[in-house]
Amino acid sequence: MNNATTERVRATLKKRYLKEKIFRGFGITAIAASLGFLVLLLGSILIKGLPAFQATYLNVDIELTEDVLDISADASTEELRGANFSGAINQALRDRFPEVTKRKQRRQLSGLVSSGAEYALADYLAENRDQFGNTVNLWLLADDEVDALIKRNKDLTQPIKRGKNKNNESALITRLSEDQLGWLQSFKDAGDTNVRFSSTFFTNGDSREPEQAGIRAALIGSAYTLLITFVLSFPIAVAAAIYLEEFAPQNRWTDLVEVNINNLAAVPSIVFGLLGLAIFINYLAMPRSAPVVGGIVLSLMTLPTIIISSRAALKAVPPSIREAARGLGASPVQVVTHHVLPLAMPGILTGTIIGLAQALGETAPLLMIGMVAFIVDIPQSVTDPSTVLPVQVFLWADAPERAFTERTSGAILVLLAFLVVMNLTAVLLRKKFERRW
Amino acid sequence: MSDAAKEAFDALKETVGRVTVDDPKMQAQNVDVFYGDKQAIYDVTLDVAKNEVVAMIGPSGCGKSTFLRCLNRMNDTIPSCKVTGDITLEGESLYSKDMDPVLLRARVGMVFQKPNPFAKSIYDNVAYGPKIHGLANNRAELDDIVESSLQRAGLFDEVKDRLTAPGTSLSGGQQQRLCIARTIAVSPEVILMDEPCSALDPIATARIEELIDELRENYAIAIVTHSMQQAARVSQRTAYFHLGKLVEVGETKRIFTNPSHELTENYITGRFG
Ligand SMILES: Nc1ncnc2c1ncn2[C@@H]1O[C@H](COP(=O)(O)OP(=O)(O)OP(=O)(O)O)[C@@H](O)[C@H]1O
Ligand SMILES: [Mg+2]
Repeated sequence: MNNATTERVRATLKKRYLKEKIFRGFGITAIAASLGFLVLLLGSILIKGLPAFQATYLNVDIELTEDVLDISADASTEELRGANFSGAINQALRDRFPEVTKRKQRRQLSGLVSSGAEYALADYLAENRDQFGNTVNLWLLADDEVDALIKRNKDLTQPIKRGKNKNNESALITRLSEDQLGWLQSFKDAGDTNVRFSSTFFTNGDSREPEQAGIRAALIGSAYTLLITFVLSFPIAVAAAIYLEEFAPQNRWTDLVEVNINNLAAVPSIVFGLLGLAIFINYLAMPRSAPVVGGIVLSLMTLPTIIISSRAALKAVPPSIREAARGLGASPVQVVTHHVLPLAMPGILTGTIIGLAQALGETAPLLMIGMVAFIVDIPQSVTDPSTVLPVQVFLWADAPERAFTERTSGAILVLLAFLVVMNLTAVLLRKKFERRW
Repeated sequence: MSDAAKEAFDALKETVGRVTVDDPKMQAQNVDVFYGDKQAIYDVTLDVAKNEVVAMIGPSGCGKSTFLRCLNRMNDTIPSCKVTGDITLEGESLYSKDMDPVLLRARVGMVFQKPNPFAKSIYDNVAYGPKIHGLANNRAELDDIVESSLQRAGLFDEVKDRLTAPGTSLSGGQQQRLCIARTIAVSPEVILMDEPCSALDPIATARIEELIDELRENYAIAIVTHSMQQAARVSQRTAYFHLGKLVEVGETKRIFTNPSHELTENYITGRFG
C-alpha cells in the first residue's frame, strides 16, 4: 500500500469504528429491553401464579359416628360413599361455634369450608375404616374467599369494603360477612388455619369452585392434542419436504405447491378451526371437543411451518455429500436416508419444535371445534371431551371469581413449564443427532 | 486465442491421434453434451483401455469434468443436462434402459475434486459402499475390506488407531485418500478422478500419484488434471480438450514432447490455458 492509500484508509477508520459502536449499542439495547420485558412478564406471572399451588386449610374436629354419618358401622364401601359427610362437617363447625343457631348464619358457617371438603373426608374414611366411630382431627380445604384472605395474611378486624378497591388499601375486600370474618379470626387465633402446598391444582379438572379447580384436564388434553399433532404433522411434513427438495422435478406444478405451502403458513389459525368444524365435525361426524380433532386441525396449521424449515435444513446439506453417496452407487432413497436426513435432522427438529410450540399456545381454532367446554373429568383417551391449557387460561381469565386470577397465572406457569420441557427435549435430541456429525 | 489458433480450432473436424484402443474397457462414441441449449461437449470419441490411466487436460471450462461425469452418469441429476451419442462399459451401453445407474456407479467409481467424506466415522466411510452393495457376508469380511482398502490408499497406518473418529477430522490430504479408499472398497472396474490432487500439498500429491500407479494394475482410470507434470507422471495416454472438443489424443510421452496439433502445442508450452 502506498502512503496515499494508507492515509485514505486511516481517514475512514474512525467513522467505521463509530458505526460499529452504534450498531453494537443498538443490539445491546434491544437485548436488554427484551430481557427486561421478559423478567417483568415472568415476574408478574410468578407472583400472581405461585399462590395457585397453595391452598388454605382449616383444622376441625369431626365426629365420624353412626349418628352423624347416617350409616351403620358395617356399611359396605359403596354405602360408605353415600354417607352424610357434609352433615358431619357442618356438625363439627356448629360444635365449634355453639352460639350459631340461625339458619342463615349456619349456612354462612358451612360456607367457610370448601364444598369439596366432603369428598376429601369420604376418601379419608375409606382409607381409615378403623376411625369409624371416633372423633378425628382433620385439615379441611377452605373456601376460596377464605383462602384469598388468609393467603394475603390480612388483619381480619379491618373495615370491610365491598366491590372495587379505590385506593383504600386498608379496607378488606371480601364477600365474606362480618360473622364469617369473626369465626375465621377465631380459627386463626387458635392456630387452626394453615396455608400449604396443595396438589389439587394438579390433580383436578375444572370446577365452578375456584379452590377445587385444577389444570389436570387441560394438561392431559394439551398432551393428547400435541401428541396427535406431532404424530400427524412430523412424518407428513418431513416426507413432503424430502419429496419436494430431493425428488420432485422442477416445474410449474412444484412451484405452485411451494407457493401454496408458503401461503398456508400465513393463513390465520381460526380459518383452520372453521375448516375443522366444517369437515371433521359436521361432515365426518368426529366427536366434538376431542383432542383427536384438535390435533388434526393443529397439524394442518403446523405442517407448513415444519415443511418450510425442513426444506431449509435439507437445502443446507452440502451437495458434495449427495454426490459422494451417489458416486458410490447409493440409490436416491439411500442417499437421503443414510446421509442427507441425519445431517438435516437438527434443523428439522428445530422447525418441528417451533411448530409444536405454536400449536401448544393456539386457542382460536380449538374454540371453533368446541374444545372450550367446561371439562371436569380428566380425559382418558383422544376422543374424550377435553380442553387445552391456553383455552383453560382463557376460560379462567374470564371467570368472575377473584380466586381464578391466581389459577389463571398458575395455568400460564404450567403452560410455560410444558414449553420448556418440550424445548429441552428438542435440544437433547438435537445434541444426540449432532454428535453423529 | 490468437487468430491462427482460432482458425485451427474452427478447422478442427476430427480428433488428432488414435482415439480407440485394442482392449477397451469403456468406449465413448460421438458424445454430445448439452446444458439446456448450450452445448458443452462436441462429438467426442474416446476409449479407456483396461489397466491404463488416461489423463484429460485442457483449459478451464473446456468440458473435462462434464465428459468425465458422463462416464458414470453423474450428470443424470442435473435436469438440464442431456447426453447423446453412445458410451459403453464392456460393450454394454450406459444410457440404455437395461443399465441401472446404481449398478453402474458400483462398477465405475468416482473421486471428486474436493474431498467429501461422509459425516460418519472413518470406518463407516469406507464400509458404506460394501454395506449397501452387500459385498461382505459378515463383520469380519467387512473389517477386512475396510483394512485392505485403507491400506491400498496408503492411509491405514495413519488412522488404524482411530477408525471410529469422524472422517471429517482428517487433514485434507488424508480425507482425499479416505475418499479413494472408499471408492476402491467397492472394487469398481473403472475409477474416475476429477482433479483429485487440486487441494493437496506436493507430498500428499506424490502419495496419491503413487497410489494411482499401483491401482492401474487392477483398474482402468480416467483422471482430469490441471497439472501437466502430473499427467506426464501418472498417465499412459493423454487427451487434450478445448472448448468442448477433443483436440488430440495420444501416448502421454508423445503428447508432451511432440504434440501434433497447434492448440495442444500452445497449451503444453503455456501459451494459453
Ligand atoms: N450444471 C451446469 N449447468 C450449465 N452449464 C454447466 C454446468 N456444468 C458445467 N457447465 C458448463 O459446461 C462447460 C464445461 O464445464 P466443465 O465443468 O466440464 O469444465 P472443466 O473442463 O471441468 O473446467 P475446470 O477445469 O475449470 O474444472 C462450462 O462452460 C460450464 O460453464
Ligand atoms: Mg472441472
